[in-house]
Amino acid sequence: MISFFRKLRWLMQRCDKEAELQEELQFHLQEEADQRQEEGLTEEEARWAAHRELGNVALVEEDTRATWGWTRLEQLARDAGHGLRLVRLNPVFSTIAILTLALGIGGITAMFSAVYAILIRPLPYTNADRLVMIWDELSGEGRSGHMPTPAEWLEWRRHNSVFTDIAATQPGDAILSGDSEPEEVPARKATGNFWSVLGVKPLIGRVFTEEEDVKGVRVIVISHGLWQRRYGGSSTVLGRKITVNDKPYEVIGVMPRQFYFMPARSIDIWMPASFPPWMRTNFTWHDAQVVARLKPGMTLERARESMAALSRQVTAKDFRGPHSVIVTPLREELTGKTQTALVVLLCASAALQLIACVNLANLLMSRGAVRAREVAVRAALGAGRGRLIAQFLTESLVLAGLGTVGGLALAVPAMRFLETLVPETMGAARLALDWRVLAFSAGVAIVVTLTFGLAPALRGSRIAPQDRLREGGRGSAGVRSYLFQHSLIVVETALAVVLLTTGGLLLQTFQHLRQIDLGIRSEKLLTLETPLFRYEDFDRRVAFVNAELEKIRAIPGVMNAGAISRIPLTVTDQATFYLLEGQSRDSVAEQVALTRVVSRDYFATVGARLREGRFFDIADRKSESPSAVVNESFANHNFPERSPLGARLKFGRLSEKGHWYTIVGVVKEIRDRGVVEELKPAVYRVLEQSDQTNDLPSGIVVRTAVEPASIIPAVRQAIWSVDRNQPVARIQTIEEIVDRQLSTSSQSTTLLSAFALLALLLASLGVYGVLSYAVTQRTNEIGVRMALGATSRDILLSFGRRGLALTLTGLGIGLVLGVMAARLMTALLYGFQPRYAMAAAAVSLVLLAVAALASFIPARRASRVDPLIALRNE
Amino acid sequence: MRPDAPSRVELLQGTLDLLILRTLLAGPAHGHAIAKHIQRSSEDLLKVETGSLYPALHRLEAKGWIAPSWELSNKGKRARFYRLTRLGRRQLAAEQSKWEAFSRAMALILNPVDPEAQ
Repeated sequence: MISFFRKLRWLMQRCDKEAELQEELQFHLQEEADQRQEEGLTEEEARWAAHRELGNVALVEEDTRATWGWTRLEQLARDAGHGLRLVRLNPVFSTIAILTLALGIGGITAMFSAVYAILIRPLPYTNADRLVMIWDELSGEGRSGHMPTPAEWLEWRRHNSVFTDIAATQPGDAILSGDSEPEEVPARKATGNFWSVLGVKPLIGRVFTEEEDVKGVRVIVISHGLWQRRYGGSSTVLGRKITVNDKPYEVIGVMPRQFYFMPARSIDIWMPASFPPWMRTNFTWHDAQVVARLKPGMTLERARESMAALSRQVTAKDFRGPHSVIVTPLREELTGKTQTALVVLLCASAALQLIACVNLANLLMSRGAVRAREVAVRAALGAGRGRLIAQFLTESLVLAGLGTVGGLALAVPAMRFLETLVPETMGAARLALDWRVLAFSAGVAIVVTLTFGLAPALRGSRIAPQDRLREGGRGSAGVRSYLFQHSLIVVETALAVVLLTTGGLLLQTFQHLRQIDLGIRSEKLLTLETPLFRYEDFDRRVAFVNAELEKIRAIPGVMNAGAISRIPLTVTDQATFYLLEGQSRDSVAEQVALTRVVSRDYFATVGARLREGRFFDIADRKSESPSAVVNESFANHNFPERSPLGARLKFGRLSEKGHWYTIVGVVKEIRDRGVVEELKPAVYRVLEQSDQTNDLPSGIVVRTAVEPASIIPAVRQAIWSVDRNQPVARIQTIEEIVDRQLSTSSQSTTLLSAFALLALLLASLGVYGVLSYAVTQRTNEIGVRMALGATSRDILLSFGRRGLALTLTGLGIGLVLGVMAARLMTALLYGFQPRYAMAAAAVSLVLLAVAALASFIPARRASRVDPLIALRNE
Repeated sequence: MRPDAPSRVELLQGTLDLLILRTLLAGPAHGHAIAKHIQRSSEDLLKVETGSLYPALHRLEAKGWIAPSWELSNKGKRARFYRLTRLGRRQLAAEQSKWEAFSRAMALILNPVDPEAQ
């Protein structure tokens, strides 16, 4: 304690002490000189002798100061200050170094945070890696799979030997009404064992049991979100009767915040599936999703084999013939295409980080060479080796520290952008910064900075200062260090080329996706849903839909409005068997078509195009011989080379009765199943004639002349003016739907392109840096060469050639690696085959142009060296 | 070691502190005088390097064993004089007896007394 206060006092007397020490040493010198003089030396000789005797005054001062304590801290502060001053004094060098670091660190930190949240973080189920999804393998559709039927689920559950249990869920939208405004919320029906298969527990209350499921008891489990939003997070919600689809249900439990399950994280209500008896034996009612838990010790492979055999056995009597199943791990289902996108982007950001480090190493080495002389001078003036190292260390740390801060500043906004990559099937849309990765990548950066930042101090302090000073500015980097720097350049150029070519491929793919003909005009087309469960009576339903459409058309700014049973681009299924007139009953098995019920104005509203025949019109009234419009796929499949107009078809496999529909028109393909989904045969029926289907035209499309968002309130009012209690849900434009479906593609394209451009920038900076360094180092040699008759053109070419040679080597390696990288990301190309050669050619051109510029600037500087000045530099 | 002073003995680590304290027992002195005194008293066998003397003085000062004061030297110049503090006196006593024990032990080993000769 005492010594602490003494040190503190000293600290305050710091300046005095500094002066005192100098005076003390001065006195010593004087005293020594006097003595020598007494011994008979001249005054001059005596003074020099005294100086020799004392040795290096600065070093003595420094050693003495070191005994005062606090010096370490003071030195640290001084070095940090010095470091910051250097940062300010070399703004170009510092900005490049810090930005390079920040880009590398920020990029990889943000990317890894996304990868962690989506691919690594444990799913909110017990032993989630034992959970699998089971899909039907119909008509050789391969991996995508088809939804199984509840009947299959029953059989699988009863007879399988590989799962501890199997659960099923079914779609089931829910309209909440009664307690406040009617609201449609995403809901899902689930079998009673759903909870035990996933191994999840409610936050409060309980989940429903198998018994309740079988008996069809009206109970529901709600999501944490709905509980907070609609019921204020109060526990009194338990036991409350709420109105769902006009029927009273009792709330029995609330799930924890982090719970979610396929197909979407937005599901708010889980209700017992309670499959009706007819559904339990119908092997064509494909609308379930099946999740199963592998038995302990069971491998995925064995489960696949066993289930394939079981499925064939179960469907042996299916009139379509037996089919197999596809078993996939739940995690794969949840992440989908995002997985490939993430892995590709993570690799890209790692490459960027690598390039950043390589560049930084180059920068530091170049600067180190410039400072070698400074080190020598300071060593000669008495700086100790430890002191020099400590100073370079602190300077490097200042750079690395600022770079890390910059990286953090970049990572946070980047993560907000990456959040849109989280698949809708997964929870936790918000990404959290992964501190471990930040620490890791900052650590890598710091190690690089230290390694290459310290090199000059280590090298400089090893070599005796007089040697270094004698050497002049020539440095001693030598061939070995050039070789090292050159390989660094080749490495970063190659990496940049890989990023650029793969980015080019994604860009081509994205452009292709953007240009897909949707079959409709997507601009200014608003869509919304009006669930029609309250209009079970056919005539009332038709009247209501026509009335609401009439009211919507009357809104100023609305050009037209139509209704359809499924909003275009959003529903992959809703298909039915059909039979063409004259076909035998057996052919039905292979014939499935998407079915849609539309209002008369629907096609005109969305801007569909007619291939032949006509769309629906006023003549299509309720009748015994209704009309149908089919799409081109349907026409080409069933009526190759001839017109389908006038042909008749009927729906349903077993319906002997049923209307015969006459085909009156062929519409050009509308991407009903989604932008990137495969086209399928489709049949459209008109609202007034669809009394024989339970497919309700609840989707509304509105073509506007004004900004669609501006008329949303008016549309709501128009519908409510017809029926005050009609729920209105999922209001969105077609463009929003398209954007969402292309978001993985657009985002990975944007990100990869950004990474690639940064990589290009860094690589060209690298070429520039190394050549500038070489020019600085070899000014002397250039001078000699020019003095011996080399022209400035010779010099320009010799340096320019070096830059281009490095670039070309990197380009070659990069193009080869790019081919391999392209194979990794086929999943991101959506079956599209972009032209690699085109991307490669474009990349080569851009890279060579940039590299030529980056080499030309330093090479020209070299060619302008004045031999006189260069030689005088000595 | 300088080649021109082969007879000079290198100072043992840690002994400089003891020598400084012992020198100051005679009365306050400045750095140069301390160095010369040690050199003279050891018949020029020991030479104190300035590079170690001043750090040592300041280290002892930091420990509170010696205290500085600015006074006039015998030639009338301002010089930094050091004097032994009470703490330093106690330290000197302890160091001295430790050193004496040590050197006795060294002497016993290096020049063993033949028991027969007694």
